[in-house]
Amino acid sequence: MVFVWLAAFFLLIALIVLVIYQLMCLADLEFDYINPYDSSSRINKAVIPEFVLQGVLCLLFLLSGHWLMFLFCAPNLYYNVRLYQQRQHLVDVTEIFNQLNGEKKRRLLKLINLVVLIFLCLFWMIWSVLEDDE
Amino acid sequence: MQPMGNDKPANVPGRPVLPSPAAPRPSTPFISSGPVVGLGTSGVPQTAAPFLSSGPITGMQMSNYRSSPPPIRYNGPSSPPPPTSYPGQDATTYQQTQAPRFPPPAQPGTPLRVPPPVGLPVTPPMGSLHPQLQIPSVPMGPPPQTAAQSSSRSYMPPPVSESSFSAPRPPPQPSLHGYSNMLPGGNMPPSPAETQFLAPRSVSQPASQQAFPAFHVPPVHASPYHVHQGGVVPPPLPPLGGPLGYNSRGQMQYPSTGPPMGGNLQGLVEEFQSLSVGSAPGSLDHGVDAKSLPRPLNGDEEPIKIQETYPLNCHPRFFRLTTHAIPSSQSLLARWHLPLGAVVHPLAEVPDGEEVPIVNFGPAGVIRCRRCRTYVNPYVTFMDAGRKWRCNLCSLLNDVPGEYYCALDASGRRCDIDQRPELSKGSVEFVAPTEYMVRPPMPPLYFFLIDVSISAVRCGLFEIVAKTIKSCLDELPGFPRTQIGFLTFDSTLHFHNLKSSLTQPQMLVVADLDDIFLPLPDDLLVNLSDSRHVVDALLDILPSMFQDNANVESALGPALKAAFMVMSQLGGKLLVFQSTLPSLGVGRLRLRGDDLRIYGTDKEHTLRVPEDPFYKQMAAEFTKNQISVDIYAFSEKYTDIASLGSLAKYTGGQVYHLPSFQAATHQEKLRYELARDLTRETAWESVMRIRCGKGVRFSTYHGHFMLRSTDLLALPAVDCDKAFAMQLSLEDTLMTTQIVYFQVALLYTSSSGERRIRVHTAAAPVVADLGEMYHQADTGAIISLLSRLAIENTQSHKLEDARQLMQLKLVKSLKEYRNLYVMQHRLGGRLIFPESLKFLPLYVLSLCKSVALRGGYADAPLDERCAAGYNMMILPIRRMLKLLYPGLYKIDENLIKGPEYSEKSSKQLALSAQSLDPRALYIYDDGFSFIIWLGRMLSPDLVNGILGLDVSGFPDLSKLALLEHDNEYSRKLMRILKRLREKDPSCFQLCRVVRQGEQPREGSLLLSNLIEDQTAGTSSYVDWILQVYRQSQSS
Repeated sequence: MVFVWLAAFFLLIALIVLVIYQLMCLADLEFDYINPYDSSSRINKAVIPEFVLQGVLCLLFLLSGHWLMFLFCAPNLYYNVRLYQQRQHLVDVTEIFNQLNGEKKRRLLKLINLVVLIFLCLFWMIWSVLEDDE
Repeated sequence: MQPMGNDKPANVPGRPVLPSPAAPRPSTPFISSGPVVGLGTSGVPQTAAPFLSSGPITGMQMSNYRSSPPPIRYNGPSSPPPPTSYPGQDATTYQQTQAPRFPPPAQPGTPLRVPPPVGLPVTPPMGSLHPQLQIPSVPMGPPPQTAAQSSSRSYMPPPVSESSFSAPRPPPQPSLHGYSNMLPGGNMPPSPAETQFLAPRSVSQPASQQAFPAFHVPPVHASPYHVHQGGVVPPPLPPLGGPLGYNSRGQMQYPSTGPPMGGNLQGLVEEFQSLSVGSAPGSLDHGVDAKSLPRPLNGDEEPIKIQETYPLNCHPRFFRLTTHAIPSSQSLLARWHLPLGAVVHPLAEVPDGEEVPIVNFGPAGVIRCRRCRTYVNPYVTFMDAGRKWRCNLCSLLNDVPGEYYCALDASGRRCDIDQRPELSKGSVEFVAPTEYMVRPPMPPLYFFLIDVSISAVRCGLFEIVAKTIKSCLDELPGFPRTQIGFLTFDSTLHFHNLKSSLTQPQMLVVADLDDIFLPLPDDLLVNLSDSRHVVDALLDILPSMFQDNANVESALGPALKAAFMVMSQLGGKLLVFQSTLPSLGVGRLRLRGDDLRIYGTDKEHTLRVPEDPFYKQMAAEFTKNQISVDIYAFSEKYTDIASLGSLAKYTGGQVYHLPSFQAATHQEKLRYELARDLTRETAWESVMRIRCGKGVRFSTYHGHFMLRSTDLLALPAVDCDKAFAMQLSLEDTLMTTQIVYFQVALLYTSSSGERRIRVHTAAAPVVADLGEMYHQADTGAIISLLSRLAIENTQSHKLEDARQLMQLKLVKSLKEYRNLYVMQHRLGGRLIFPESLKFLPLYVLSLCKSVALRGGYADAPLDERCAAGYNMMILPIRRMLKLLYPGLYKIDENLIKGPEYSEKSSKQLALSAQSLDPRALYIYDDGFSFIIWLGRMLSPDLVNGILGLDVSGFPDLSKLALLEHDNEYSRKLMRILKRLREKDPSCFQLCRVVRQGEQPREGSLLLSNLIEDQTAGTSSYVDWILQVYRQSQSS
């Protein structure tokens, strides 16, 4: 069990890093530190790995039978899948300034979700470690 | 807002008891005219008076008037009316008033004629008055002019002018004033006076009276005037004959709201118009007289008056705010439901003699603020004996470079101000030194990408394109540096080697569409002057080269990539001639838009946005490399303009859509527009930024460009036919400054290879009063911005939603305006709107009926809708208004007898089928095309003369090209068309002929464009006004 939580923990860390990276690119863009071409190509590079990791995380929870945790990260996964299906998962360099606020909000919500998950994950990890000890 | 009115509220109760309190006052003026004048101007004494007389009198006059015989009227005023009308108040009076009002259209003369007899005593003055009526607008510096312009239409002379003019008036008027003054007092016995002023009233409508009282100021004066004007001078421009039931305007003086700048102090006068809409029981139909509705028959009127108050501002043709009064707080902005922003047209064409001056600072470099990078402009202040200057945007104190130093005179102005256009003119052009270049200025570069698949061959495109290009070669800007290149494509790409050492061009074919490569490192793009003979040779053989091509495929995507590879080093202009749907390689598009089921659902908008991200990415790459794309689309079938157009949208280009292109009919249009595209002055590799003072910020931009950072617009090429709109937002909750400055700076490379900065500076006052915002509103800019918002809205929502959004904004703004006034003044039963926005409802209606936004699936082909949308995104204000309210002229008389066609002889008519007379010939001009409408009963001679063929056989007019024939009619018509075209040189108006009753062409070409009429699913102008009125009333 501990290994599951450990894996989930690292997955979450990776996800958070990816999302924060995207947020930083957007912030840089807003403050005119980088141009929209670089910004969007950097963001777009991070999008697919993020989606894949998110999928892996969900699968992990599902397979290991942690239904509650799965439910927590399912909305995010659903949202990603929908975006992907509508071909809107990549930021559009031509409209990036008009979408800036929306994109930021989107990623902030994701980040909040991930942070909540990581705390839960830590809790369960410690819990299971303690249980194992007993 | 009307502190003045309040000081005599006591009078109000006295209202019915007319004679007593006010009597003395009015009488004096009557006798001694001089003083009255003063009175009138000051406005104070009278203020109360109108108040008194307001409702009741109105009513009574009305009734009198209705029963038109003058005698009765006489009696009415002198005694009986008050009793009858007062109790009845609005309701009764109205009934009486309105019922008869409807017939008038037929007999407009009557009401007008009535007054003179009544006003007989005063007739002499009237004569002299007449001339003066025209005068007002001239000498009167301040705002009121608006009224003056409109007066012609509204038939009521602007009360404003009267009031403010009273002083300068010659003798006759004072007496009028005298009369008017009586009015307030109540009805004074003196009979001449009475009659005099009553008469006026009888003519003016209830509306006016109601409005006037509200304003406590000059209504009284106004009315006598009406009489005079009405009686003696027929309304200058009442094409619609509708004196009755028309809107009135009241005005209000604000003593203290004056905007900060001294010049604007007279902006104290505010006014509004109202339109009687309350349906009266017993009246014939709803209470709107269609003929009296406001119509912009004089085209766009630029807000020149702003230039008078702010002479240092750039001309409004370059920069127009939606309201020339910036709200001082967020809460005020929230009550302004229309968009707040600006329309910028940086390279607008200027008439001769007003060219933007060019300034070269030489070694001093361009003088700019250290912190905010604002360019030096007329609003900066020099201090410290001329050694420092204070930036007007950020108030930073900057040093004046030694080379630029000049002593100040006693008043603190620089002594050399007259020699420095940058300190005295709102628009200047700086020559930029090398710091403003990231690379050597690029040469003008034109690259042609021509689809040669079978559909292009069929419509006979090449011949025209090749000939036009050839004829323009000498006029391409930037000789001798101009570069040129060609690429043709069908299922393969054909490169053309134009090396100057060749005698004939070489064609190199690349068939590998997946992995594009250039067959030659250079020589695909050559210097025109070096390779001129090769280019000529290519253009000569081009039409014949592909005339037997039967290839149906079109590999536009790979061709774009190839063109990008050729041009990426330099940038330039890419002209794409596409006559079929791209079908091969990357970026192939599929047929869509046929699916009826998608309309009306949430997915509807997907049809109007690019389907394949390839085009957007390509556009982004193009912009990055300073390439601007113009799309010429010719197919009668679906070509997915939505996707192709995005290439133009993000590269500062333009979409030319010529559906069902046929060489015979469309060649002139294509030739003209291509030639204009190639030869007009173009600004290359440009960027534009708009700086504004503290507290405000431009938040969104609308037009054809790409944002390179939050406020920097990248424009690979820009010219005089492109305008940009932007929305303004307030950063702080409360503005601390009195004036906000805006500075538009366009950095570009001119065709001659010089780097230049065009700078337009403007100032606008900050106001704390919503009324002032409405007063300074600019309908043209508002509608231009609104239309862009609506079109962007259609790209993410349903058409229906976009239209509703427009309507909602309109209604909300009118409601807010109504709330400003309705409390103090009883305005039930009428729609009130500010003078400045009187055309807004009509324009919004027209916007909802425009090709881009109208109806649903069946009402406009998808491609045309998208193309119209792309076009509207770049239109300058004047052309936008022309498109929304096209001109309709009756020209048969000019053709038959006419002295030469003159502006006067053909007035613009209301856009309604009622304006069409079957015995006449009309021309409809929306700035993009002409439609000639032949009445059914038009003399056959004339028709035959114009068309050059016999129409009795009902020939098919759709294929007809209007040519000049050898007869007087045809020559005159051509001259008229030519003159109309000269008015709008930015595009060629293709002329189509349609006969009355020729369905379905008549319907689709003309009738559906008569926006005042009710067509399937849309409301007529009258219904629209009623609808807006009802919505603005319900809270």
